[in-house]
Amino acid sequence: MAKEMIAMLLAGGQGSRLYALTQKLAKPAVPFGGKYRIIDFPLSNCVNSGIDTVGILTQYQPLVLNEYIGNGQPWDLDRLYGGVHVLPPYQQASGSDWYKGTANAIYQNISFIERYNPQYVIILSGDQICKQDYSDFLRFHKEKGAEFSVAVMEVPWDEASRFGLMVADENDKITEFQEKPKNPKSNLASMGIYIFNWDILRKYLVEDEQDPNSENDFGNNIIPNLLRDGRNMYAYHFDGYWKDVGTISSLWEANMEVLDPEHSGINLFDENWKIYSRNSGMTGHRISADAVVEDSMITDGCRIAGEVKHSILFAGVQVETGAVVEDAVVMGGTVIKAGAVVKHCIVAENAVIGENAVVGAMPTETEKGVATVGPGVYVGEGAKIGPNAMVYNNVKGGEVQ
Amino acid sequence: MINSNVNALGIIFPNSYDNLVPELVTERLMASIPFAGRYRMVDFILSSMVNCGIDNISLIVRKNYHSLMDHLGSGREWDLTRKNGGLNIVPPFAEKSVKVYDGRVEALASILTFLKSQKEKYVVMTDTNIAVNFDFNAFIEAHIESGADVTMVYAEQEIPKALIEVPTESRDMYYTLDLDGERVKRIRINSKDAGVKNLGMNIFVLERELLIDQIGTAYVHGNIYFERDVLAHQLDKLNVHAFKYDGYFARISGMKSYFDENMKLLDDENLDGLFAKSPIYTKIRDDNPTRYIAGAKAKNTMTADGCVIEGEVENSILFRGVRVGKGAKVKNCVLMQDTVIEDGADVEYVITDKKVTITAGKEVKGTNSYQVFVAKNKVV
Repeated sequence: MAKEMIAMLLAGGQGSRLYALTQKLAKPAVPFGGKYRIIDFPLSNCVNSGIDTVGILTQYQPLVLNEYIGNGQPWDLDRLYGGVHVLPPYQQASGSDWYKGTANAIYQNISFIERYNPQYVIILSGDQICKQDYSDFLRFHKEKGAEFSVAVMEVPWDEASRFGLMVADENDKITEFQEKPKNPKSNLASMGIYIFNWDILRKYLVEDEQDPNSENDFGNNIIPNLLRDGRNMYAYHFDGYWKDVGTISSLWEANMEVLDPEHSGINLFDENWKIYSRNSGMTGHRISADAVVEDSMITDGCRIAGEVKHSILFAGVQVETGAVVEDAVVMGGTVIKAGAVVKHCIVAENAVIGENAVVGAMPTETEKGVATVGPGVYVGEGAKIGPNAMVYNNVKGGEVQ
Repeated sequence: MINSNVNALGIIFPNSYDNLVPELVTERLMASIPFAGRYRMVDFILSSMVNCGIDNISLIVRKNYHSLMDHLGSGREWDLTRKNGGLNIVPPFAEKSVKVYDGRVEALASILTFLKSQKEKYVVMTDTNIAVNFDFNAFIEAHIESGADVTMVYAEQEIPKALIEVPTESRDMYYTLDLDGERVKRIRINSKDAGVKNLGMNIFVLERELLIDQIGTAYVHGNIYFERDVLAHQLDKLNVHAFKYDGYFARISGMKSYFDENMKLLDDENLDGLFAKSPIYTKIRDDNPTRYIAGAKAKNTMTADGCVIEGEVENSILFRGVRVGKGAKVKNCVLMQDTVIEDGADVEYVITDKKVTITAGKEVKGTNSYQVFVAKNKVV
């Protein structure tokens, strides 16, 4: 039995700019939005779009991700035929190799795709926050009679040169591709989400692999090759919420946007497009009599006795009496001890912020840094972590800039 | 971890004590009554069994069990989708019975064939009107060590007023134990005595072979109730031991106690007493985290996921998906799943069942001794 379309999700990224957060886990496994991890978004999009077969390509620090995905049940992806499969590089008769690039990762899994004999393959990225209906994208792809389609977002012209840009005609047919150009001819940025006809993808992957000079990358090699051969290529306009959370500040910002769905456009409260995740299984959160909670998102297992303003708290976070949390993202299991002040920052999982310690500071005209405390870090009593600091080892006391 | 208790199977009676809370069981049974923000009563005993390695669990239902089946599904959330054992819901007429059962003896008689074909040496049996994080391993070990035929759990407490006040003809019986050391000397039925008693918690353990034997005999003699007809009458023949439980538990004995037991969980010590020992599992709803919008105020509350709070909430338990509108006031309330308190409404000492709406500006107030109850799907 053939599947019409299956998804291949690129989740091998190290996320090196998230350094303190990605020492022991791949970027797609980074927690987001109170009870999710980044990968919940593409996985939930798949299920909500009717895609029931997903290959997840992992490479960097896959342990957390593997355990998190498990049999795929939280996303309803535990299927008899299809479902979710984690695909690390493996040894083959011809030898073994790490995934050399995005295209090579798919190339090494051609036999996985062939088990389902799909007509179309959608290539997804595991490091974006986006709610998108892939079935509408596929409808576009079929209507245009395309062999390759790419989802694009309009970006402001003055930022366009930071992106891979698609130049398209009035029928959305792509005529040119510019990778981070100095003089952009278009403001349609590639979201790194592609639909291929499988026979075309297969042909170009095999050819690309035979080219010793290729970087085996979709953006640098496959797409230029398709253009060179005059293939039917189309740009699909997406105008919903999309964010590449590749840096600490963009990750912090995206979390803050979750707090303001009315304006930011990222609505996690949508009954018709639920984002699924593996549940903490903790009991409801407690807010004690002298606590203050304003404009925040709080989830199961939290215990709040202090002050929480405009922040996102993940499962099991404790905020003790007299502690202040503001404009902060505090991940699961972290304890903010009495009198500690945590502002404008990201504190990763299972950290302890000691009594009267200070982490981060509200932004000023000149200083807008988002302080970061890595997972499991102990910040000692009275210690001070400056707004630009990224801490991944225990801090006994004193000041860290 | 090696499964330490594959040698016991569990039997749960989800309908016991339904009549104590008639308002809550019009469309459900005791086992599926929502409790503690995101759970159903059955979750506690079921999770306790699973956490002790008991993974062959039968629930013998009597009536109104649709909500329970919906809640439990295949048992996946409790890790009970097993090839061997797992979750087994036994509706009336499933095996041999020709009528809906009244007591435990009849219920068990209907699954005798099943019991005979199992391989576990012991059987643990419970009701679901007590929420407790119970250590079945310690219980079974004590039973084996004592050499008793049957061991039953009790707690030292006063008999709840609500139990005594229920009219005799419409009540499931309760039992108090007279003890000689750990040996049960006498089982008193529906005692009205004041003071601290050894009140049975209706948790039992005995060997499967003995249970089959006793139930077979009792059923033939037309007996109905296990405690009254099997245990109480044979205390000279059977070595019945009592096992004292002194941890935290919440016994639902009426609407007032349902309210009080929810409220008690606003004390962190009680909350930890019920939840800290080992995880309690429940059906997953995939709610988003709860959102406090600017202007919201919360004091001394326990709130599950999926709520949106814009108004003021104080001393209350909010279940999943509750909405509290702008300027609304919620004080001393238990609001079940998907309750909507619209803008400006003012509610105090109110228990709302699932999907209740209190419309904008309405004032609904009960008192500490008598809470207003709003039934499922009602709009006030």
